[in-house]
Amino acid sequence: MTLTDPIAGELAGHRFHLHPAYETGRRTVRVHEVRPLTDAITHFRFVPVDGQPLTAYQPGSHLIVTAGEHRNAYSLVDDGMNPRSYGISVLRRGEGGGSDWLHDRAAAGDLLEVEGPRSMFPPVLDQHGALLVAGGIGITPVLSHARALARAGRRADVVYSYRPGAAAHLDDLRELAERAGFGLHEATTVDDTVRVLRERFADQPLGTHAYACGPGPMLETYLEVAAGSGWPDARVHLERFTAPEQDPGSPFTAVVASSGERIDVPAGVSLLTRLLEHGLPVPNLCRQGVCGECRIPVRAADGVVVHRDLALSDEEKTAGDSMLCCVSRGVDRSEIEVQW
Amino acid sequence: MVSRADAVTDTAIAAARSPRYTDEEMAAVGIRPLRTPEVEAFRAQPVDHVGPLPWPFPEDLGAFRYSVNVDPARVPRPTRAGEWGRHLVDLGGADYLTIMTEKRITHDADPHRTKIRRGMEPACWDLLLYYLRDLAITHPEVMHLDEGVDGNPDAFHWRNDLLGTDQRFVLGEWDSIPHGPLEFLSREVPDDMLLVTERDGRLYFDAGAVCFAAAWSVSFDVGMDMYEIHGPVPRMRREGIVARAEQFLRRLPADRVYRRLNWNLAASPTRKYDIALESLPSWGRDMALRQAAGDAIPNVQLRIELEHFVRLPTTGAVTFNIRTFMASLEELKAVPEWCAQLADIVEELPEDIAAYKGFLDFSGDVVAYLRAG
Repeated sequence: MTLTDPIAGELAGHRFHLHPAYETGRRTVRVHEVRPLTDAITHFRFVPVDGQPLTAYQPGSHLIVTAGEHRNAYSLVDDGMNPRSYGISVLRRGEGGGSDWLHDRAAAGDLLEVEGPRSMFPPVLDQHGALLVAGGIGITPVLSHARALARAGRRADVVYSYRPGAAAHLDDLRELAERAGFGLHEATTVDDTVRVLRERFADQPLGTHAYACGPGPMLETYLEVAAGSGWPDARVHLERFTAPEQDPGSPFTAVVASSGERIDVPAGVSLLTRLLEHGLPVPNLCRQGVCGECRIPVRAADGVVVHRDLALSDEEKTAGDSMLCCVSRGVDRSEIEVQW
Repeated sequence: MVSRADAVTDTAIAAARSPRYTDEEMAAVGIRPLRTPEVEAFRAQPVDHVGPLPWPFPEDLGAFRYSVNVDPARVPRPTRAGEWGRHLVDLGGADYLTIMTEKRITHDADPHRTKIRRGMEPACWDLLLYYLRDLAITHPEVMHLDEGVDGNPDAFHWRNDLLGTDQRFVLGEWDSIPHGPLEFLSREVPDDMLLVTERDGRLYFDAGAVCFAAAWSVSFDVGMDMYEIHGPVPRMRREGIVARAEQFLRRLPADRVYRRLNWNLAASPTRKYDIALESLPSWGRDMALRQAAGDAIPNVQLRIELEHFVRLPTTGAVTFNIRTFMASLEELKAVPEWCAQLADIVEELPEDIAAYKGFLDFSGDVVAYLRAG
């Protein structure tokens, strides 16, 4: 995540990390392998162009890939420790976006621009094993968690909900499940998934943390079952692909602290859009309140900021000193000072 | 603490105040420097406690209060006496072998200086790799790291010619490296190693190899959150400093390294690095003894902690590593402006902070000594 940064200019080009294995900025990698996993999901594997080690990552991290005109975040599927290559598995969305570009255009030997890895869905280090829940293409970060637990010799219970014939990495999971301390529970219908989740949440050793990635309705069920089984929120983690639809909100005004400039933000237009239109280079990525990239420091009266993102914690929202300007807004005809 | 006052080799006051160890004493803790020209040149540097001192006060500061005083790391900072902060690790010049011998003696005598809570093992590997890679780049003439040896990407070979270390290890295999990755690293660098990690929205100190704690104890503090650890520090919590420091560390980006300075007048008027609570019996009477002998105040040590914050990639754990620098008030006399500034700051310091820092009883004598012509 990025906050506005008074030292950014002064330290442009400063090398904070000397070794190449800590580089997370934009750089080029080579496509090493393109392998179809299902009719709609293809696995891409990238290697460094210069033979240098790649940056290690926390399980559940994503890589930002420039795919034609698009920059998309894709979960990395390996354990993340001392990687020699980066693997992503991409579902073709069929909407002319980055996933289609990768399926149609990327071939072994091609050079691509990537950024990261970045971590938004990490394991809690002191967990006593994990309950891992995946729905469909949500398997990708879950597989990363599973592989890291396997490497560390830890316990994991995996629930994989999929449509028959459309399950990526099922063979990898089944192989992992042969290890001691690993369980795999497959579900191919909604009813089955609910039943398996109930069973699994009811049967975890104390100290287990749960992690889920999948379509919205499955995640809602996951949260309901977890709460119904008496799990505290702090032990229930998830990653969403997409944010829920947002209503247009109300008009409000942003005041840029450095210049005093007043920027009107009409209903249905995001604060991010207006800031960019006025030449403020706010970093941004998903534009749906998930990735945290466009977080900006703000000052506003209590209750003025309507936080609509899925990235900030409740504590951070209450603090009221920052917001994700892609989805969050001010209440009707309010004023928010942007610390820029 | 082993020291040999008769091993003084040069005339500088600094050297006279520095404990030296014999080759036998160093060999007893596994330190056997190679005889390469590069090592000889490194060891032949003059002992200097003032030049590399990270002076913790801005030029115009006359009154000290706690703050979240962080700045970007690896930016060299010139001072009135020299320079500090060029590298992540300051080996300590000619003092390096002395510091490392004292550190290893401490580790050998007290295994409880290393504490690792469950789940922190990968973070210890993360830390080891980060530091060894950095050292091999910043000190290529005396330190070397080979990666992916014998065709195994996870196999490494580390050599530190200054200490005579020659160690192969396999990433993730705890028993492949003596003392485990965290303490192994602690035995190679002067810095105390601390790792914090986020649980349930708070940062916890969950692993550490700490020999030179300034009157605190790693065994006692490990597993605490930032608020618990800083509970005894006056004003810090009330003024929201702990909350801001925690926020800073929680949001520390992976592509930035920051540092912070802290300072004290040490409770022992000697160059003992180990003034941890565990070893209180060996240093607790130093001040009284020196005061009785009448030479306490010139030997009072300005003790400066340089902390480095790195977010480690495989685990997201953040380092809170502490490098301890010391110079006696007598040595500081070489820089009159520093003496004047320190005298002002100590004199102005509110009682609660001076009492917490442990020098309230002799702060008047310190001010008088620093101002004496």
